[in-house]
Amino acid sequence: MSMISGDKSSTEILSLKSSDNEIFEVKKEVVLESITLRGMVEEDEFSDTLIPLPNVEGKILSKIIHYCQKHTEARAKVNGSEGAADSKEIKDFDSEFINVDDKTLLGIILAANYLNIKDLLDLGCQKIADNIKEKSVEDVRKTFNIKNDFTPEEEKAIREENLWAFD
Amino acid sequence: MTMTMMMMEAMVAKASVRFPSILTVLTEDLLLRILDMLIENSHRKSWSLVCKEFLRLESIHRRSLRVFRHDSLPRLLRRYQFLDLLDLSACPCVDDATMALLFGSPYISFSARWIKTLVLSRTSALRSGGLEVVVRSFPCLQEIDLSYCCGFGDRDASALSHAQGLKVLKLVKCLRVTDFGLAKIVVGCVKLENLSLKWCLKITDLGIELLSKKCTALRILDLSYLKVTNKSLHSISSLWRLEVLYMVGCSSVDDDGLHFLSNGNPSLQCIDVSRCNNVSSRGLLSVVRGHKGLHQITTGYSFSELSKPLVYKLSELRNLKSINVYAAGVSDWSLEIIGNNCKHLVEIGLSKCAEMGLGCLGSCCLLLEELDLTDCMGVNDAGLEQLSRCMDLLCLKLGLCMNISDKGLSHIGHKCTKLLELDLYRCKGIGDYGLAAIASGCKKLKKLNICYCVEISDEGLKHLSTLEELVDLEMRSLLKVTSVGLTAIAVGCKSLAELDMKRCCGVCDAGFWALAHYSPNIRQINLSQCRISDVALYIAMGKMKCLQVAKLVHLTHVSVEGFELALRASCIRLKKLKLLSTLMFLLSSELLQVLQARGCKIRWMEKALILD
Repeated sequence: MSMISGDKSSTEILSLKSSDNEIFEVKKEVVLESITLRGMVEEDEFSDTLIPLPNVEGKILSKIIHYCQKHTEARAKVNGSEGAADSKEIKDFDSEFINVDDKTLLGIILAANYLNIKDLLDLGCQKIADNIKEKSVEDVRKTFNIKNDFTPEEEKAIREENLWAFD
Repeated sequence: MTMTMMMMEAMVAKASVRFPSILTVLTEDLLLRILDMLIENSHRKSWSLVCKEFLRLESIHRRSLRVFRHDSLPRLLRRYQFLDLLDLSACPCVDDATMALLFGSPYISFSARWIKTLVLSRTSALRSGGLEVVVRSFPCLQEIDLSYCCGFGDRDASALSHAQGLKVLKLVKCLRVTDFGLAKIVVGCVKLENLSLKWCLKITDLGIELLSKKCTALRILDLSYLKVTNKSLHSISSLWRLEVLYMVGCSSVDDDGLHFLSNGNPSLQCIDVSRCNNVSSRGLLSVVRGHKGLHQITTGYSFSELSKPLVYKLSELRNLKSINVYAAGVSDWSLEIIGNNCKHLVEIGLSKCAEMGLGCLGSCCLLLEELDLTDCMGVNDAGLEQLSRCMDLLCLKLGLCMNISDKGLSHIGHKCTKLLELDLYRCKGIGDYGLAAIASGCKKLKKLNICYCVEISDEGLKHLSTLEELVDLEMRSLLKVTSVGLTAIAVGCKSLAELDMKRCCGVCDAGFWALAHYSPNIRQINLSQCRISDVALYIAMGKMKCLQVAKLVHLTHVSVEGFELALRASCIRLKKLKLLSTLMFLLSSELLQVLQARGCKIRWMEKALILD
């Protein structure tokens, strides 16, 4: 197994395999956006082999790779400083990117959590929160397929308490 | 028939399999992460109504609670077991018996186990018995606010002194506390870091002396309005960790007292000596001389001029971030010297400083974020042009600046794009053109005051309607504005929550209908002296689902029945109401009782109608 030397790392290509056996070839620097994968790559020599990701399906993985690529490029432009996340370009990209249906959104959140990509996880959770903000209680239940397990009396009591008793 | 039924069943089955419940997909920590991002209380309350699991998640997530009904306390403390902060300031009838009942029983007192901050301001019925219960039942207590508890005296202070972990104590206007009570506290609460004795008029030099000897960890101290003398300052100078000192209105202190401070308090960073009648530039100079690390200085209504030596010393303060000098003569030269040398200045308050121009600010204080130039007659268009180079400005107060016009304002509008707050109170020279410039450049504007800028018409308001982030708009007495202008604001300013349009007599019902329909988020409104009718008031009060504060004085076109209906439609939400005193006898007692039971405070105004 060859050793991974410092100057080769920026052009090294790694392979990621999704749960439905789709294979993605990704630059190492993009892969390192994921803290989970960073650990795997640094610990073991994965340069010649596939990194299996049995928890993430191809459709979601391709979106995540796209996100990581875009953010890595943006950071390189600002030379690795913290300013990258604030640029208008990246903000516009993020809001377009996360504008997906609920099922994909949940998939992205779960994958970002597993792969430990904090910015993407926050982005996904914020999107769900924003979706919830605009909906009534009944709509939230419908959208996320949640059963209302309150009795009418219980619901009334909580509503009263929420309205009058505190803030 | 059976075929279609089977097909329909298959479709329903497919639909439910296609999307499982979010509760099975996301783990608890992910759901809590989403809940983290719901910041508004109203959204969190909706969340808690979705299902039992969401309710449970909200109960373990919430860290601070402000209670409105003290009879809900037992249930609320069972619902929320992980609070850091409990605020009972809206429950003035909380007393010793309540505390004993709530926290005496081990089952409920369990919920007090993590509470670090307890707000008990205005709970005048609370005494030493209740405080003893508090001290026993809140093991993690670090901060307690007992401000405006007019009954709080030495015996109660004694009970409090057993709270050995206490770091922050606020006793604003606890008029009965004497040196004796203070002594008990300082001996018992050895870890005290932040203490406010503002308005505790019975405290004397003796109390402060003991305080200075015992509370060596003290970082923040407020002695405002106390009758303490220079002796106290001598004692305080030994507090080597003191960072912030407020001594507003200490009229028994003079320059010699401040001189004591110059050699002590090595950590001093902020000082406020406003309204100290016997303090002059010389006194402040000695403080500044001894403390190179000062970053915030507030002085106002004390002395009438910054002397040259003081200005030079101020300019040596490399870390100076904020300087507020009210009603003193600040010349261009002083400002230039300070501005050129104090490169970190972000806040300058120069209210009522008559002679000053603005030439230098635009060239030297480029980091400036907050500038208060209220009532500064020297401010003119040329000055605003210079000022517009401070592109980081967030808050600009130009109230009562009579010499500015649209021309000057347009410079600000084009360059200061980060502006969040703009005050143009009674700036008579401002008109529609100035507002156009502001609306096109300052897109983030949240708070705007254009009261009495009588040249403003519907055109100006149409420009303002493009400000989608505008939350607070004050536009009193804009006589040229009609319903057209108000409608534009209602439709365009989607974030509008506070509106003061007292005396905008040109607006008729059409405008108020638009407001009711398009601005459901309004929390606070002043419609006094407006020409609104019964029907429009009823619709408006009914449709504004978030309305909590309403000022409805001198509504000459609204009958008693109109008020009755409108208030009934909104009584469940109203927390504060301002009405003409004659209505006290004309509104039904039922309605007044309901309002009182719902916790609404009514202020009855005696004002006569001013016709101009």
